[in-house]
Amino acid sequence: MLELDLEVARDGFALEVALSLAAGPTALVGPNGAGKSTLLRAVLGAVPVRRGRIVLDGHTLLDTEAGTSVPTEERRVAWVPQEYALFPHLTVLENIAFGVPGPTGRARADALIGQLGLNPLRSRRPGALSGGERQKVALARALATEPRVLLLDEPLAALDADTREATRVFLAETLHRLAIPSLVVTHEMRDVVALGGPVVLLEAGRIRSTGALDLFRASPPSDFARSLVTRIGGGL
Amino acid sequence: MLVLLAVPLLALVLSTSPGDLLDGLRHPLALSALRLSLLTTTTSLALTLLLGTPLAWWMARHPGPAERVVAVLVQLPIVVPPAVSGLALLLAFGRRGLLGPLLERAGWTLPFTTAAVILAELFVSAPFYIQSAAATFRRLDEDLLWAARSLGASPARRFFRVVLPLSRPGVVTGAALSWARALGEFGATLMFAGNLQGRTQTLPLAIYSALETDLRPAKALSIVLVAVALAVLGVLGRGTVMEAIRARA
Repeated sequence: MLELDLEVARDGFALEVALSLAAGPTALVGPNGAGKSTLLRAVLGAVPVRRGRIVLDGHTLLDTEAGTSVPTEERRVAWVPQEYALFPHLTVLENIAFGVPGPTGRARADALIGQLGLNPLRSRRPGALSGGERQKVALARALATEPRVLLLDEPLAALDADTREATRVFLAETLHRLAIPSLVVTHEMRDVVALGGPVVLLEAGRIRSTGALDLFRASPPSDFARSLVTRIGGGL
Repeated sequence: MLVLLAVPLLALVLSTSPGDLLDGLRHPLALSALRLSLLTTTTSLALTLLLGTPLAWWMARHPGPAERVVAVLVQLPIVVPPAVSGLALLLAFGRRGLLGPLLERAGWTLPFTTAAVILAELFVSAPFYIQSAAATFRRLDEDLLWAARSLGASPARRFFRVVLPLSRPGVVTGAALSWARALGEFGATLMFAGNLQGRTQTLPLAIYSALETDLRPAKALSIVLVAVALAVLGVLGRGTVMEAIRARA
């Protein structure tokens, strides 16, 4: 369980969020500039939090009142940004094993490479991979560290339509198999439906609604939500 | 313009026969200067990398008023005339300088020693490296560093596995420019370290001294320096002096 109660102030923009995430995928939707990426970065520890708490399975990662802040490298919060941030100078294998040095990392990377069908690509560098392949490598790299939370920022946005379709199913299955909370930013209702988990709607830095997918679809809580739900046939 | 640029170098090469070159290089003045220049420039480059890299990293990561002040300080030795640098070094580290008494109490006298040569070279050349490295560090994709942190990488691991490999071109360019500047250093060295053969007489100072006695070592050493300059250009790659200058801007 990931519990968030955060206030972030940044360049005139204010984000105020209180949220609990159970294991499994949660979709995070909202208009551009609503603060979705900022929320992910706040959980990661990459943007300063003005006030608040982050508690993960009973462990406090951040408590501004108590002056506690676990550094990013010790949070075990995996983060896959929009462009994946793969290390361009390292091979697929080296990228995936990056977070776990030594033989353990190598073994985990080998296992993940096998599971995700990346074997023919293990010696390639990210520049020589397709969008879908990069996405898989980024996910494998995050999973190799056995994270306790997974944050995915528009994981499918950089993919072409065909790859997106296949990757969406793979991603949803993977996130359901993991017994950890994952927060997935998306702009597409198809992704939300494939993930199947709760939907959090963020607008202008505030949570507008949070709840089950069915409810979100049945009665969209805002104009943005309504347009998202009706856009399902047309992609982005 | 091209004639103006090419003729002096051409004159240098054409006026030196291979025999002159060998004779010049065998001259005691040349040998000791070569040895000393190699020793001092290698040491000053090592110190530049060791001390300049953390400073460049700090400058890249902490933009703001303090960084701008530091940036001006770092640029000054590039634009200040070398004679002024020499005088400033004397006034700082000379026996009656700002830190002179302190150094003397610790048993160190810097002026007119090989250490003074290294310090003068460091003073005039480190800014080239620091600026180039800082510019490269600034261009690093921030998300790569956050990704590395989220994967549990320690600061050292992030720096050596991500930052340095991705910054290699800028770091190498900066190091090459800095080393070339140290090798050519003349004015500050002459004022702060003097011109003592075997102790403070580096290649440019040896050329200057040889002019008065025997031109052959002067020409031979000059050709060596031109060859080294060409090699540095080779390290920088095609058209990269301009790129290097842009990177430093």
